[in-house]
Amino acid sequence: MKKRIAIAVFATLAAAASAQQVKLEDQIKLRRAAYDMMGYGFGDLAAMAQDKKPFNKEEAEHDADLAVAASTVPKRFFPEGSDKDTKAKPEIWQNRADFDSKMDHMIAEVAKLPAVVRAGDMAAFKKQVGATGQACKACHDKYRAK
Amino acid sequence: MTVPPRIRVWDLPTRIFHWALVALAVFSFTTGKIGGDWMAWHLRSGYAVLTLLLFRLLWGLVGSTTSRFAHFVRGPRAAIAHARNLLATGTAVAFGHNPLGGWMILLMLAAFLLQAVSGLFSDDEIATQGPLAAKVSNAMVSRMSALHSYNEWVLVGLAALHLAAIATYTFVLRAPLVGAMVHGTTVHGPSGAVRGFRESPTWLAALLLATCAGFVYWLVVVFARG
Repeated sequence: MKKRIAIAVFATLAAAASAQQVKLEDQIKLRRAAYDMMGYGFGDLAAMAQDKKPFNKEEAEHDADLAVAASTVPKRFFPEGSDKDTKAKPEIWQNRADFDSKMDHMIAEVAKLPAVVRAGDMAAFKKQVGATGQACKACHDKYRAK
Repeated sequence: MTVPPRIRVWDLPTRIFHWALVALAVFSFTTGKIGGDWMAWHLRSGYAVLTLLLFRLLWGLVGSTTSRFAHFVRGPRAAIAHARNLLATGTAVAFGHNPLGGWMILLMLAAFLLQAVSGLFSDDEIATQGPLAAKVSNAMVSRMSALHSYNEWVLVGLAALHLAAIATYTFVLRAPLVGAMVHGTTVHGPSGAVRGFRESPTWLAALLLATCAGFVYWLVVVFARG
């Protein structure tokens, strides 16, 4: 019984900490940092896919893993009202379900990158980079100001 | 009934320029909208558009009579007079671009040029960068990317206006403009008078086009990577 109460208290605290304790300002900072990381990792993969630089498997694996880790972060840090002084459009909160589904789609496409990189099949790799780019674009076109 | 003689109004290079630009504009718009792997083609299409525009500017100086800026760039008074005459008589009399259309050509050339040049410095912050984006500051890239996005709709608006004008001239004023841009001839001259049409050699156009292509190649490949 004591243990169960302890768990319940801990769970409540943890939920409060994750959902409420991060200041709005810091949430914007966190999602931007995640986008920067994703942009760095995915941008490097895209350069390899577009033959702008030679394919380096070790680097590509690191890029892909980094992109995967960062990809799940932004979705958590789009609280209502966090569009001020950012490129986020207010439409995000008017169509939250659609925004979230586009985010989930992007996360799913990024998640396929490490496997195609490790398999080393260049055709599949290029195809997946293209599909991931389109998943990014779907959200940018609708929910990101110029 | 005698068939009125057809007279030359557009030279071959100008017609090829026109239809190539139509095709590339549609292709650029479509590939830009699809994104992903098609962005590589979006960039190539932009280089081709830039080449064509540079060629057209030069051809505006040394091309055949009706292609020259000196022939069709007229003051606002001439444009207003043309519009008045058009409304009053319901007929459109002009050889080559009319004074109103001349301004439209300048506007479209400027807007397309702005689109092609801003694209060189743009970054979609996904996987595509214009070849010169790395040469300038991030603030400049951001401005150019925004310009590239907004100007896209200026171009769509101008294209719509262009099509509406052609439809009006074709169906209301009975001036078959589209055919003239295809085969280069017209019967639609000012009261039967055949205006002088001096044709510039096509080889000169080919030479200029090749020079422009060479310059664009140097800009986006040699200079961009240097």
